[in-house]
Order: sequence, then structure tokens, then C-alpha cells
Amino acid sequence: MTDWSEVWLVVPVYNEGQVIEDVVRHARQTFPNIVCVDDGSRDNSADGIRAGGAHLVQHPVNLGQGAAIQTGIEYARRQPGAEYFVTFDADGQHRVEDVLSMLERLRSEPLDIIVGTRFHGDTAHIPWIKRVVLKTVVMLSRRTRKLGLTDAHNGLRVFNRTVAEQMNITLNGMGHASEIVEMIDHRKWRVAEEPVTILYTEYSMAKGQSLINGVNILFDTMLKSKAH
Amino acid sequence: MLIQYILVLFTIAVLLLFLRKRGTTKSAASVKLAFMLFVVFGIYAVLRPGDVTVVAGWLGVGRGTDLLLYALVVVFTFTTLNAYLRFKELELRYARLARAIALRQAEPPVSAGQGPGAERS
Repeated sequence: MTDWSEVWLVVPVYNEGQVIEDVVRHARQTFPNIVCVDDGSRDNSADGIRAGGAHLVQHPVNLGQGAAIQTGIEYARRQPGAEYFVTFDADGQHRVEDVLSMLERLRSEPLDIIVGTRFHGDTAHIPWIKRVVLKTVVMLSRRTRKLGLTDAHNGLRVFNRTVAEQMNITLNGMGHASEIVEMIDHRKWRVAEEPVTILYTEYSMAKGQSLINGVNILFDTMLKSKAH
Repeated sequence: MLIQYILVLFTIAVLLLFLRKRGTTKSAASVKLAFMLFVVFGIYAVLRPGDVTVVAGWLGVGRGTDLLLYALVVVFTFTTLNAYLRFKELELRYARLARAIALRQAEPPVSAGQGPGAERS
């Protein structure tokens, strides 16, 4: 079995008390290092994270998913021996198998970051409304098309130390996915996509991003001040 | 007219308050100058509303009141956008502050010897 001790899973957590312990436990069967960022949850998420055996970083107040991912990356990149970083969802919709194949690719190919995509082969399992929203987002973003990305809002990403060191997410909310695409472009990270399967469980569907949120993302991205 | 006295007194009060409160801070001088001009214009407009209508006529707007309303809409939009951007920036600073606190209080897993990565912390 391969040793994955140089890999860090970064999991943003917000009110996932129902599932987080199982998600962490399951991922820990493969990956020893997991940092969960509890983004000011009002439920027992923190207990689940402790019980699952992950590192726990707690935001004192709720800041948003983008901020939580940034915190997790900052925590992980200061750990000795951390070489590879994975952003992984807390609701159990990402598969460890996909992470493994992405890691293999990142190690063997000259790449800095690999983003998961749902749009390869059969997409019938994706709810149609999600398909329409996600396709529209990609269509509207010239940058995403330029980089050849088909699913910029996929939460599953694997990247190396270079990317982790330079990562600087400033949009606290859901706009961070577009922001990461922007960083890929500006900082010339070598990017590729990997087909992944998203497990659309009833639980994850109930929590997923809505159409309305797409409007927020567009607005935030357009008005992002250049001052940073 | 009574309204003229009220408006002029009010405007002067606002100006004094602004200069006294902000005078010591290093807020941009251009903003202060613009505000002074605005106040002077305000007093002038109150005393001679007819002149504003003349200017409105030059610009193709019917009445002076309409001109003031349009100007107000533009200024309001600008102010709103400015406030939004400032708020976003503040939010980012606030996030960084919260992050610093969170990272300081991070808890490594306690379950020593249980998982594959237990020897690390």
C-alpha cells in the first residue's frame, strides 16, 4: 500500500454534524492527514470531526466556504512533510477513489493542479437543473473556456505545494471557485481535469448550491475589488 | 421663506460637524474639497432656486428639482457601490483576523496510535 502521509485533505465543514464523522472516518482509511475547518457550525460538527480523527480548526464565526478552504490550506501547508493538497467536500459526495487517481496523475505528470469534472462521458446522474446551471457558468466565463475547463465549480481539487503556497482566496463565500480559476490563469499553474463521479445523495442534494446562489457568485466575481 | 432659513442652517451644521469630526483624520483632501463645494452649491441652490432651473434648462431638463433628483440618483448609486466594495474589503480583513485566531487554536487529533497518521501532529 502506498504511503499517503504527504497528502493533506482540506475539508470545509458547515453544519454537517449528521455525516461528517463517517466522511472523515472513511477518508482516513486511506489518508492519514485530514484537516476539517469548522466554519462556525451551529450543530455538533466539531464533535464529529474530533471523533473521526481529523485535525480541527474552528472559525470563531461563520465566514463562508471560500474562507474555510483558505484556512484549511494555510493550516495544511505549514505541516511538516505536506506536499499534496486536496479540497474535499464534507457532505460525502466525493469519492476517495477519484482522489487517488488524481494524486497518481499529479505525481507522474507535469501538472500543478487537477480539477475534478462531472462532464465526461455519461452525465445522466447529474440532476438536469444542476447541469444547466453549471454549463451556463462555464459558458459565461471566457477564462474557464480558455483553460479548457468544463466544470470549474467542482469542489474536488488536487494540487501541489507551489499552488498551496500561492493560494490566496479572498472571496469568502461561494465565489471562490471562479477565483481559483482566475488564479490558475494568472499564476500560470499547469492545470488538467480528471473525470470524477459525484455521489448525489439525498443529503447532499438538500444542501447543494441553488440557482439563486449562482447569481451571488456572478455578482461577487464581477465586483471583486482589485485591491489585494 | 422659512424653508430657506431651515435648510441653510441645517447645511451649515452638517458642514461644521463634518469638519470637526473628520478634520483630524487623514481622509482624502479631495473628498473634503468636493464636500465643501457641494455644501456651497447646496446653500446657493436653496437661496436661488431659480438659477438651478436655468442650469436645468441648459442641460435639457425641465425643472431644477428634476435636475437635483437625477444628480441624487447618480450620487446614490455611486455611494452604494462604494459602500459595497468597502464592506467587502472589511469582510476580508475580518476573515483574516478570524483565520489567525482559528489557526492559533487548532486541535490536532487526540486519538494517538489509532489511525495510520497518528504519529504526526
